Amino acid sequence: MQRPADASRRAWPKKPPPTPFAVGGLIGLVVFSLVTSWDWILGIGFNPLALPGEFRDSNPAMVEGLYNVTDAAWRESYVDRLRGAFTDPDSPWVLSLDSRIGRGLVETVQIAVLATIVGSALALPMSIYNTRLGAASSTRLAISKALNNTIRSIPDVIWAVLFVVLVSTGALAGVLALTMFTIAVVVKLTSDIIDGIDMGPVEAARAAGASHAAAMRTAVVPQILPGYASFSLYAFELNLRGAAVLGFVGAGGIGQAMDFYWSRLDFEGVSVVVFVFLVLVIVVERASIAVRKRLV
Amino acid sequence: MITFDKASVTYPGGVRALKDLSLTVGDGEFVVIVGLSGAGKSTMIRAVNGLVPLTSGSVTVNDWSVPELGRRQMRDLRAEVGMIFQAFNLVKRTTVLNNVLMGRLHRVPLWRSLLGAYAAGDRELAMQCLELVEIVEKAYVRASNLSGGQQQRVGIARALAQEPKVILADEPVASLDPPTSHVVMKYLQRINRELGITTLVNLHFLDLARMYADRVIGLREGELVFDGPGSDADESVFEDIYGRSLTADDVLEGQAQL
Amino acid sequence: MTRTETPAEERLREQLRPEKPFARFRWTVTILLAAAFAWSALTIDARWDRLAQIPERTWNFLGLLIQDASLGPLVIALEAMWESVAIAWVATLIGVVISFPLIFLASVNVANRWVVLVVRQVLNLFRAIPEIVLAIAFIPFFGLNPVTAAVAMGVSSIGTLGKLSAEIVEGIDRGPMEAVAASGGGWLAKLRWGVLPQAMPEIAAFWLYRFEINIRVSAVLGVLGIGGIGTFLTQAAQRNYYDRIGLGLLVVIVVTMLIDGASARLRRRIINGPPGELDQKREAAARVQISGDET
Repeated sequence: MQRPADASRRAWPKKPPPTPFAVGGLIGLVVFSLVTSWDWILGIGFNPLALPGEFRDSNPAMVEGLYNVTDAAWRESYVDRLRGAFTDPDSPWVLSLDSRIGRGLVETVQIAVLATIVGSALALPMSIYNTRLGAASSTRLAISKALNNTIRSIPDVIWAVLFVVLVSTGALAGVLALTMFTIAVVVKLTSDIIDGIDMGPVEAARAAGASHAAAMRTAVVPQILPGYASFSLYAFELNLRGAAVLGFVGAGGIGQAMDFYWSRLDFEGVSVVVFVFLVLVIVVERASIAVRKRLV
Repeated sequence: MITFDKASVTYPGGVRALKDLSLTVGDGEFVVIVGLSGAGKSTMIRAVNGLVPLTSGSVTVNDWSVPELGRRQMRDLRAEVGMIFQAFNLVKRTTVLNNVLMGRLHRVPLWRSLLGAYAAGDRELAMQCLELVEIVEKAYVRASNLSGGQQQRVGIARALAQEPKVILADEPVASLDPPTSHVVMKYLQRINRELGITTLVNLHFLDLARMYADRVIGLREGELVFDGPGSDADESVFEDIYGRSLTADDVLEGQAQL
Repeated sequence: MTRTETPAEERLREQLRPEKPFARFRWTVTILLAAAFAWSALTIDARWDRLAQIPERTWNFLGLLIQDASLGPLVIALEAMWESVAIAWVATLIGVVISFPLIFLASVNVANRWVVLVVRQVLNLFRAIPEIVLAIAFIPFFGLNPVTAAVAMGVSSIGTLGKLSAEIVEGIDRGPMEAVAASGGGWLAKLRWGVLPQAMPEIAAFWLYRFEINIRVSAVLGVLGIGGIGTFLTQAAQRNYYDRIGLGLLVVIVVTMLIDGASARLRRRIINGPPGELDQKREAAARVQISGDET
């Protein structure tokens, strides 16, 4: 093979300069990262090099309460509290959830169950309406999108704050907050799959003289059902996790127990609650993933 | 009776799919519409039940003037006009029976369709329609587990469940192999003869058209270029409709030999 | 349709018609759901009667919002929101930097199976632990401040980013990898030229998506009192500062929606590449779709 002569080499195309998008993106990335992490008025003071130092200067009382696994006495009292959380004080082998932690745990599950069922039920028609196909008019689509984007932009705890204002403290505020959160999650995911369904059956339903609602129910719902069911289960996992935070703003659930011990600086208590909650979350997540795999 | 009067359709992109079409189809006729793809066959069929709106002219079906219908009246018209599709358009994830019951949707109260709680009479009728196309034993099978020919028979049953006066079939055999195509065409012919339902079928195989049609309508670039009995539609007529000489692709038997 | 049948025909029909099968799965699910719902609704310690108060209370709340309305706390609310955004960004950055090398160790088509198994388990663990638990676990070490939130969310982000990016890498076309290997490229060359060009846009888009999620999470972690709009709002609610609640909500909604919108555009741009042919094709397809629609 002969090397090309110099003359022809000059005719090669030049390497194009990077696009403005790439340059701008890179500069933006670096600047934004520096601004947010610097220790001044606009930054949070995140310095990865200082982290080990801070780690050494940690709060001994808290560390002891939360983690003192090497201390035998700590372990013993920890296990005692753990058992006490789930057994009858009079006969330690009888299962009873009548403790602060036990009640919190049960309430957390109840809040998550109610919010998932109610939220998912509302989310099905809402996600159909949140697509061009279902809304059937650009005005209605715009209204639906605006509504859903608003719901989605409010984090679950902020919903809880709002509902505590509206219905006072208690589990009801938690149920309502997580219902909104479920709607946000399920509508987003479900309306995305509606865009990809087979349009044939919809045309068939219309050609058969079906009303819009009937066409959506018979031609669209069966197609999205597995995805929708899977998203609802996923929302249940998220709700269980979310329910832990609700208690901090007075909206019920196991977070109330966390908040109780936290405010009394009883870090061992916090640690027990966190441990119990973690086990619940991981067990439910495993089960839910197993079911979801079979659904889709 | 279906009457086209100077019916024209122009799509938003500027394509004129139908140009000043005027013709009349009498009750109980079996009409086959032929033409190349893009000749306006699908548009013409979809103009009958308003799935494609006319840009000018009119289509009258029985006493309905299609372009003037409101939403509610449009649904009443569509209830009288059954439709069969090239891709079957079944909901694959649900049972055959549920698919056929979609044909009853214009009569079923909304709450019943939302709950999937169809009345016994509607179920009975759906079963009878499945019997007519001889596939009732699959009533509770998922549509996705059926072969193409079986799915199209379910599609026919769905159209019959409307108790229609007119059936429109848009390339009903284009996705099927030759023997199955004949089976489906025979069902359509039988329904037309026994139940007296006016039938409009789009086809692009000329031998099928000649074999089953009482009347052949030829379209080329949206215009009517032939209208006569199936027996008159010989090869020269088809060459005229297609605007070129015939190839093996134009006949079903030619497909079979490939 | 209804023509008279001979008795023989009728018998034949009865034989052919199948019995409606018992939908066991559907019934099981329905009964389980109904039971779970009934148990939860009946035994939960919730004051259902308060649902009826919502309209009235909303009205009062809106009244108080308007009555107390003042722009004074707006600056504080915006500062708090900014802090949440900054926490989210730093957390995403931690997640990106640490998860990036792990992605390739967690993908079966580029790494050794045993390495994948171990790395995946670690990522799953990070993902499984709720952010609030991580935050509580880190507070003793880093204190009640935004850095703790950022580290906790960062760990969580490592888990999600690592796992989902690894799934993207596992979904790529093998061809280019084989081409690099065939031309004598080593493992790193294979990653750089065979894997990255295919997977990078989606991975980068996913980073942005995680940032959107982290903004919400950072607001949530605020309830622990470690800063941001969450702390601002919980404190305002505890003290019944209605003007602050109203402003805080408004700021959350507006800022989150703005960032979501911008991020969604960026993600689309990253995945689809520069505007050009592709968009025109897509627009044409959309037009066809619209013309087929009824209304």
